[in-house]
Amino acid sequence: MFRLNLKIALRNLWRNRGITSINVGGLAIALAAFILVILYFTYETSFDKTNPNYNNIYVVGRIEPDFKTNYTSPPFAKAIKQHLPEVENAGITKRGFFEFSMKNGKNTLFAKNFMQADYNAAKILDLKPTGGLEKPPGNVERLSYLSKENMRALFPDKTDNKPEIVGMGASNSGITSKINGSITNNLHSNITFDGISIGNEIGKGENYGYNNYTTYIQVKPGTDVANLEQKITDLYRKELLKGETDQKTIAEIKGVSTFLDPLANLHLRPKAGNDAPYKILIALSILGILILVIACINFTNLSIAQATKRAKEVGIKKVMGAYRFQLTAQFLVEIFIQCFVATILGLTLAELSLPYFNNLFQVNLSIWTTENDLCWQLPLILCVITLIAGTYPALVLSGFKPALVLKGNFSTSKQSSWLRNGLLVFQFSIAVIFIIGLFIINSQLKYMRSEDLGFTANQVVYIKNISMFNKPETFAPVRDKILKIPGIKSATVATDIPDGAEGGANGYTFEGVKSSLDFIDVDFDYFETLDIKLKEGRFFSKSFPADTTNGAVVNESTVAKYGMKNPVGKTIRGCNIDYKIVGVVKDFKAQGFESAVKPTIYSIKNPCGNYKTQIMVKIEGNKMSSALAALKAQWLQINPKDGEDFRYEFLDDLYGKLFKKQEQLQSVFFGAALLTIFIAVLGLFAFAKYITNGRIKEIAVRKILGASDIQIFSLINSSFFIMVLIANVISWPLAYVITKRWLETFAYRIDLPILPFISSALITILLTVITVSIQARKAVKANPVDALKYE
Amino acid sequence: MIKIENLEKVYKTEEVETTALNGINLHVAAGEFVSIMGPSGCGKSTLLNVMGLLDKPESGSYKFIDTELLTLNDRERSNFRKKNMGFVFQNFNLIDELTVFENIELPLIYNKIPAAERKQLVNEIIERMNIVNRSGHFPQQLSGGQQQRVAVARALVTKPKLVLADEPTGNLDSSHGNEVMELLCELNETGTTIVMVTHSSHDASFSNRIINLKDGHVISEKINKSRNEELI
Repeated sequence: MFRLNLKIALRNLWRNRGITSINVGGLAIALAAFILVILYFTYETSFDKTNPNYNNIYVVGRIEPDFKTNYTSPPFAKAIKQHLPEVENAGITKRGFFEFSMKNGKNTLFAKNFMQADYNAAKILDLKPTGGLEKPPGNVERLSYLSKENMRALFPDKTDNKPEIVGMGASNSGITSKINGSITNNLHSNITFDGISIGNEIGKGENYGYNNYTTYIQVKPGTDVANLEQKITDLYRKELLKGETDQKTIAEIKGVSTFLDPLANLHLRPKAGNDAPYKILIALSILGILILVIACINFTNLSIAQATKRAKEVGIKKVMGAYRFQLTAQFLVEIFIQCFVATILGLTLAELSLPYFNNLFQVNLSIWTTENDLCWQLPLILCVITLIAGTYPALVLSGFKPALVLKGNFSTSKQSSWLRNGLLVFQFSIAVIFIIGLFIINSQLKYMRSEDLGFTANQVVYIKNISMFNKPETFAPVRDKILKIPGIKSATVATDIPDGAEGGANGYTFEGVKSSLDFIDVDFDYFETLDIKLKEGRFFSKSFPADTTNGAVVNESTVAKYGMKNPVGKTIRGCNIDYKIVGVVKDFKAQGFESAVKPTIYSIKNPCGNYKTQIMVKIEGNKMSSALAALKAQWLQINPKDGEDFRYEFLDDLYGKLFKKQEQLQSVFFGAALLTIFIAVLGLFAFAKYITNGRIKEIAVRKILGASDIQIFSLINSSFFIMVLIANVISWPLAYVITKRWLETFAYRIDLPILPFISSALITILLTVITVSIQARKAVKANPVDALKYE
Repeated sequence: MIKIENLEKVYKTEEVETTALNGINLHVAAGEFVSIMGPSGCGKSTLLNVMGLLDKPESGSYKFIDTELLTLNDRERSNFRKKNMGFVFQNFNLIDELTVFENIELPLIYNKIPAAERKQLVNEIIERMNIVNRSGHFPQQLSGGQQQRVAVARALVTKPKLVLADEPTGNLDSSHGNEVMELLCELNETGTTIVMVTHSSHDASFSNRIINLKDGHVISEKINKSRNEELI
């Protein structure tokens, strides 16, 4: 019997291959999206899960009156371990704060994050050097390891695990360092690094003021964490209060507390940080489930729309004595087979789109690993979707009354039409929201790309450099040598480049008013290199030697902030220097579009400032490649302290990275809009087919009575037209609120346009008319006599 | 073999109640060939459906060799039907996705006949029906007469005690119609009881007895002498 049922099923599917492929294909696409979502979900929620003590590890953070942070000081971990018996182990780590190069002969490596950890932290975090974690023996202060990838880059032919000596910085610096071996850098962990040095104790001699470390504790299983948190806060206050006599400080210390943040929360929703990634993940998961459920419902609808074709089969089988459950089982198996094919297809689609997905979300997911739980999730999903998509059609089909269907005058019932209508409206509403969202994101991005930034990043090359040029006279020879290269128009150095980086802030007093200003320390030609527009006065100039001691340039926002009148020539005081304002520049969007331009002061001399290391060079467009080649060739002579490694980036690329988040959002919306519109159209297709099948006789009668094709098309289209219109009307206010809130995250934004709303309506209506008309066409073109034959 | 007493069946819609069967009494002896005639809407199809256990009446009794059938549940009805009855329809009702052979095989499968025996039984009947060279074809590749032969073959393959035919010639031209009627006669001669609904007095003339229905009542019964004489 199974064989025969299978034959019926396959022949039937083949005869209706158009519908079958739409049905299975639709489900496959939704499944592909869902598979990607669960892969991503599993990945994002399982950071550090391989750590055997995953559930017992916490980060100890501080709560200051106005902020929370994970940065703590070295003695704290020791005190915790010493005083609290429920803490099994406590350790600290410190990130590498600057990038440096490591060399082995011609092989060079740039280590951005060479971490430090004490042995306890390494143990808690389950760090795995090749050959096992080792405690640095007696007189050895630290053991340093390079990640396996970096080790291979420096020592491509190395097969053993013996220590190596590497050069640090420029090859002429003469500094070397010992690397004890390689270590696994687990990218699926909160703790990642280029290399790490593990010591018995790090941060020796640093007291409670040095909050540059992260403290990890491992508690004994079953510890009352809330209680422990309180104890740690008490301990922290007690430690800070040691030797304090100043009443004000003591009061301040009493306002400080600590918190424990589980390792499991660290990646998605750290207490000291924002939980946006977690919210995004949840939203994405809901979207994934929604898409799959809607696809299943569409599958159901399309199956039922096809039911009339199977009615006779059901009738005959019943007449021959088939039980209802046999027929139910038969249809369930049939739908299972379709779902199975859809799953295979979905898996293939997911695999094909995985590279784009990985690129978009900056992850490295793979379907074919045992690490993800797909091997049990997929069969489960398959069964669930078979039940969701299959139960109703199987019950409807197996429930046909043979006495009715075998007479040939059979039509499926119109029951639960409000449910179908509602579903269709719902599907289109979601699609409309995504379409509108996509249009508005596009407009905002277009605006951001075309709007005048106030400076020109184009043809400005940012050169990475580790030597400091805080005094103009140290940079002067470098600039001279750079400018000798043909094509280079100007060169400058500053503490920050306009790539969205936040500069420092300090208090400045102008005419008795003290206020906080951002400061950026620059060199000559800074404004010229970036083509920033002057409003009043002048830029820094070598003809005015005083510029290097107390000259300052402010931007328009500063003028506005202090309400300055004729600021040029006036004095502004900060960092114990009376700066003379020599010029005012127009505001420029160094921080991107999200925040308004900050009131900023630019000076050459600033004892309170940072290191000037960021070199920028303006190069003529047509001489770009030759100039870069010359810089690379001569770099060691131009800037000997930086070494022979000439590394650069284009400023416009760097600035472009500020748009990354929006571009990501744009891609997500593009995918979601396509997917939701596709699924909505699929649902519409099934619905229209169902309706048309049910109205074939009516259409035949109308045709016989003289209705034209157009009249029949509009007859069938009208109800769908109204539903899609309702969907638009429902989603407009929603989309309006959502997009308005999104746009409000930008200081510089477009006015909310009306066009996307109209376009989304036009697009959905057009798609509706096309889809419905394809269905209606069959009924309209059919010979009415055929439809009425067996009456 | 069949004793039907006081059968009543009412179709209800929201507004209208239609009495399809209004106290029908009917006896059919084993080996009889009975025709049921009457105008449209007289209840003849409903009667046939009730006899085939495809429909339930409101009240009355339906005994099949002393078994009361109206008290059976769905499962028992299915079982009884597949063991004792065969059906032939006006519009053939063959499954389009199955070949001639597979269509005929289907009832045997539901009766759990082993595969080897199925094959033998199907081949026998295919031969008897003279459709051997069509056994691999799909229904749509056959003429109406051929399709109805397949349908008859399907009804007979389980060797049912009772064959119910609902206007078996209604979609056929007269020569094909005659072929099918002759087939039913042959079948009847081998002992199968047949109840047939028809509009055609020509078709009815093939049967032993003709029952006329009107508005859910039996209004007349007539013994078909010519056919009975022929048999004697």
